[in-house]
Amino acid sequence: MKNQGRTLLQKDGTKTVLASLLSIVIGLAVGSILVLVVGLFSDNLGMVSAWEGIRLIFFGILNTGRNTSGSLTWGFNPQSIGNMLFRATPLILTGLSVSVAFKTGLFNIGAPGQYLMGTMVTLAIALGIPVSALPSPVIWLLAFLGGVLAGALWGCIPGLVKALLNINEVLACIMTNWIAANLVTWFFDANKMFQNTVENTKSSYVYKTAYGRTMVDGVWTYVDGSGVQTAKLGLNKIFPGSQVNAGILIAILIAIGVYILMIKTTLGYQLKACGSNRHAARYAGINDKRNIVLSMAIAGALSGAGASLYYLAGNTEFFWQTYQSLPAAGFNGIPVALLAANNPIGVIFTGCFMSMLNIVGLQLTNLTAYNEYITDVIISVIVYLSAFSLLIKMLLSRRKKDKPAKAADSPAEVNAVEEASAEKGGERA
Amino acid sequence: MTFLIQQTLLYAVPLMIVALAGVFAERSGIINLALEGIMIFGAFIGVLFVNMMQGFALFHDAFAAKSWLTLQGLELLAMLAAGVMGAVFSLLLSFASVNLKADQTIGGTALNLMAPALVLFLIRIIANQNTLGMAEGDAASWFMIKKSTFGIDRKTDLGFLGETFINKVYLATYVCILLFVVLSVLLYKTKFGLRLRSCGENPQAADSLGINVYKMRYAGTTISGALAGMGGFVYALTTANCASTGDVAGFGFLALAVMIFGNWKPLNIAGAALLFGLFKCIAASYASIDINGDGVCMLASAPISSHVYRMLPYIITLVVLAFTSKKSRAPKAEGIPYDKGQR
Amino acid sequence: MRTMESENIIEMLHITKEFPGIIANDDITLQLRRGEIHALLGENGAGKSTLMSVLFGLYQPEKGIIKKNGQEVKIHDPNDATALGIGMVHQHFKLIEVFTVLDNIILGAETTKMGFLQKKEARAKVEALSERYGLKVDLDSKVEDITVGMQQRVEILKMLYRDNEILIFDEPTAVLTPQEIDELMTTMKEFAKEGKSILFISHKLNEIMSVSDRVTVLRKGKYIGTVDAKDTDKQSLSNMMVGRPVQLEVTKAPARPGEAVLDVRELCVPSRSHKKNAVNHVSFQARAGEILCIAGIDGNGQTELIHGLTGLEKSSGGTVTLCGEDISHASIKHRGANMSHIPEDRHKHGLVLDFTLEQNLVLQRFNEKRFQTHGFINQGAVREYAGQLIEQYDVRSGQGPVTMARSMSGGNQQKAIIAREVDREKPLIVAVQPTRGLDVGAIEYIHSQLVAERDRGRAVLLVSLELDEVMSLSDRILVMYEGEIVGELDPKQTTVQELGLYMAGAKRMDRSGKEEKGA
Repeated sequence: MKNQGRTLLQKDGTKTVLASLLSIVIGLAVGSILVLVVGLFSDNLGMVSAWEGIRLIFFGILNTGRNTSGSLTWGFNPQSIGNMLFRATPLILTGLSVSVAFKTGLFNIGAPGQYLMGTMVTLAIALGIPVSALPSPVIWLLAFLGGVLAGALWGCIPGLVKALLNINEVLACIMTNWIAANLVTWFFDANKMFQNTVENTKSSYVYKTAYGRTMVDGVWTYVDGSGVQTAKLGLNKIFPGSQVNAGILIAILIAIGVYILMIKTTLGYQLKACGSNRHAARYAGINDKRNIVLSMAIAGALSGAGASLYYLAGNTEFFWQTYQSLPAAGFNGIPVALLAANNPIGVIFTGCFMSMLNIVGLQLTNLTAYNEYITDVIISVIVYLSAFSLLIKMLLSRRKKDKPAKAADSPAEVNAVEEASAEKGGERA
Repeated sequence: MTFLIQQTLLYAVPLMIVALAGVFAERSGIINLALEGIMIFGAFIGVLFVNMMQGFALFHDAFAAKSWLTLQGLELLAMLAAGVMGAVFSLLLSFASVNLKADQTIGGTALNLMAPALVLFLIRIIANQNTLGMAEGDAASWFMIKKSTFGIDRKTDLGFLGETFINKVYLATYVCILLFVVLSVLLYKTKFGLRLRSCGENPQAADSLGINVYKMRYAGTTISGALAGMGGFVYALTTANCASTGDVAGFGFLALAVMIFGNWKPLNIAGAALLFGLFKCIAASYASIDINGDGVCMLASAPISSHVYRMLPYIITLVVLAFTSKKSRAPKAEGIPYDKGQR
Repeated sequence: MRTMESENIIEMLHITKEFPGIIANDDITLQLRRGEIHALLGENGAGKSTLMSVLFGLYQPEKGIIKKNGQEVKIHDPNDATALGIGMVHQHFKLIEVFTVLDNIILGAETTKMGFLQKKEARAKVEALSERYGLKVDLDSKVEDITVGMQQRVEILKMLYRDNEILIFDEPTAVLTPQEIDELMTTMKEFAKEGKSILFISHKLNEIMSVSDRVTVLRKGKYIGTVDAKDTDKQSLSNMMVGRPVQLEVTKAPARPGEAVLDVRELCVPSRSHKKNAVNHVSFQARAGEILCIAGIDGNGQTELIHGLTGLEKSSGGTVTLCGEDISHASIKHRGANMSHIPEDRHKHGLVLDFTLEQNLVLQRFNEKRFQTHGFINQGAVREYAGQLIEQYDVRSGQGPVTMARSMSGGNQQKAIIAREVDREKPLIVAVQPTRGLDVGAIEYIHSQLVAERDRGRAVLLVSLELDEVMSLSDRILVMYEGEIVGELDPKQTTVQELGLYMAGAKRMDRSGKEEKGA
């Protein structure tokens, strides 16, 4: 597949990238229009803040705050960019999760549930093993693998019911999401030792993994700094003040691994065969049911890995009473995958873009009277556009051609028409 | 028992009407995965409408004067507003799936992401917090039908039926039931219904008989959007004290499961909705359900974690789907974009 | 009856219809006289159905006009066509399977009161029509529960219910038994006698010669000519259709059958749509060096039988022995070790359309040592192998091995499947409707390949719905009716009529091969 139709692929690849960029621009534009409209009709906002909002939507990542006279200042902001990379880590992995399932013809909307199960097991291992029992890199590794495994197992459930009972995986995923949300709440409710309750706000979080389980005066307590956290590898020097760590590098490595898996291996070939045409795969002796379960397991493992890397950073708290809400990192895997056209390498970039939107949202909340939900609107517009990305691609390619194709010039299109009629049973005799 | 029936109905009726919303879309050939999102949007619009109308002297005075008729009128108007805006919101889905032949699953997912984002964005700006409620008072005092509504003394016993179906109920519940019946008849006994159903089964055939498949699919999805929007508001009104939070916790997806369990047929759906309503009711108020009326709340005192009750609707859904999936019969052409040029 | 010869009820003049990159109809003229049966003849892909779709308002032509009774008319959609009295029985029936027969007939032409359906009058009208033309249907059955023959009668009643006077029949005989075909021909002649005008699309010369008054021939989207049926014969029509002399018969040496390769005993396969077995206690043997054909009307269990043999469907009883090994419960992959399978539906089973040609050519073999090392695909070997097959079997495509299967023509897609399956060199070849929807050139090629494989000592199990193919290609015929094998025939000693009686279930043999009385 190395050299296969390089020109065609490149052409197709360019079109895909262009279509994605167009979706992004339209998404940002819709967000801007919304900001503008709200600004015009709201008493306490007005044109000035609307203009600020719009500039932040497009360039928020380069914002450095406000100066003394109250106007926005711009420039390289290492903290924002570092945080963007940090937040991109789970998004890249849930994006990979969704795209692997997509390649096998499954819509993994269950990433939030898999993410939650990964969170639960990772935190339970990282916070459950006393720091004196094992060296902290080993605890880190166990917690990571535990999260991956938990995600994989949780992903298997919709996979199994799809393969064996032919239940729509979308509905099964939604149900397992909510079951996971309740399970996780139940787990941390029952294991009070993980809870870190803040007295004055009465809100209760699970300890950061930087807190290590230590015996002090015969009582198990959590001591800050003695727990596990992902190595920084000097990234904190490049992006001072941010949360960035080596997790992003691990995520990129995993993305490359997934790329190789899908393109170069017989397993990837089988998964894709099942995804493009389950009947033909079965006909050829490929075990379609096994591949569906396997694909969902891999997808789940990737989501679980995303959760592990996020919480093993050591500086992230988990709000455990989550039975009424699902983690956005899971759902945002969908736009990450769609925008990358399910290409694992593309996911690295679209994951970063999505986390950039996240940062932009925070900037909006902090600096203006707008709030971070505008970025969710932008994301949903982008998902909406990717639903007909094929059409956008077609429009793009039509633009480029000077004249409508003649029969001899484009055999592919001729055959596409024949194909279309043949598919409908050769009605056009 | 009265409490149990009333609570079950509060969940079952929106579930039923939203499941019927799913039926209208799918029977016309469009998978409406966006029910959840449309509900969220409808709930927001309805609540916002009530919130704004409360500022008008007409309704303000009506409340002070206990003019129930006017207040019930306000409730109906809010339902209408939610329905209309739900229909408008669903146009995004019909446009994508009918005109642009988009992937309906992704399109629906986009709407499910868009609704809470948009709603929360606006609520935050309007209310400066994450919940939009009524401007004053609560749903019970403004809209609930009680004995006093009919001028009956609070201590009068209306008998089992009266206590259950007249006291402490919402007009919206009965309007939804009526709509459900009327629309079911529409689907099965009219020319429009026959044509709509033909588009979900074999659009090529419908087209060859001069039926405009695009129009029918728009009609199906729009009715679907109106019902889901209205259902969303009724859900918020009757179970969430007329508040919008940008969330219905998977209720729209439960409605989809009800639709599948009900095999896309209204009568079965009504039954399925009652069953699921019961589970949802147990999940929401297991602590205060007193089944045999002896003052003991059996479910709460049973040695079962509250988390189990909350998980119950979702687990039951999965199990029910597992048992019905082999037998269920979806409209044949659902989810497949219809292209006039290719036949 | 032929006194109105100059009067054309419908004229389609200089019709040109293009699809992106292809001209489906190129300046075609067709004149239909009142009360005649006019056949439209052409190969698959000649543009017959496109032309009829233009007449029926499903497509708009780029050029050309349509006249009715000498007046130019515009037909924008099927409603316009219906208003002009044009009705069509489509090749693939346009019926709603879960609706009743009556609902299907009235759909689109409903009588209502305040929007509510009024079915009483409609029922009376349909019943009268059905009586008058002997078109027996059960109005309250669902379409999915009735036979294909009855479904066709429903389609005809749909036209009559709308009082159509111009009736288009698109390949109406493909799904019928020879006896049902005769009935249809009689009905068509009756319509013509009453002054209705009929357009009859077909590529079967026998039928055309027996029923039509005039024949218009199309080839590759172009108009070739119109002739009176009584002034022509099958061979010259066939030459007009294909553009070169065609061999109507398959030439092959007599078969020299050897050992039994496949032994099926009492095989049962459950049905997906009803409770009965789709395949009911079927037993037979396929021997090396012969082409064994399973004949029958579509939907009599042939598909399920093949799925039961290949493992796509689980059998519920009986045994299947292949090359001496019991494979009744083996996996699809395991069965593939001794069997290759040219599937019925090349898009559903045969190809992964979004894979490249080379990826499709190793669909079963990617796991062989030759094509992978430690789970990594050996790309060079795949490319080389694909190149070999493409050359050897003359599979044509835009970009060779890296062409997307979706972008290939139907004939070349089928050639690719045949190349893949034949090259696996298995003792048994199962070929299901291998020539469906292909043009004459491709059909000839595929037939010769199957005969060549037979001569190399392979057992060929052929399932075909085309009677001509059954009669000319097979060495032995088994007839399936309602899931059972009702007869074993020698193509050299039987006639199409006799075959038809078995296919319709009017005749059957007992297990010892004798004809049963009163079956």
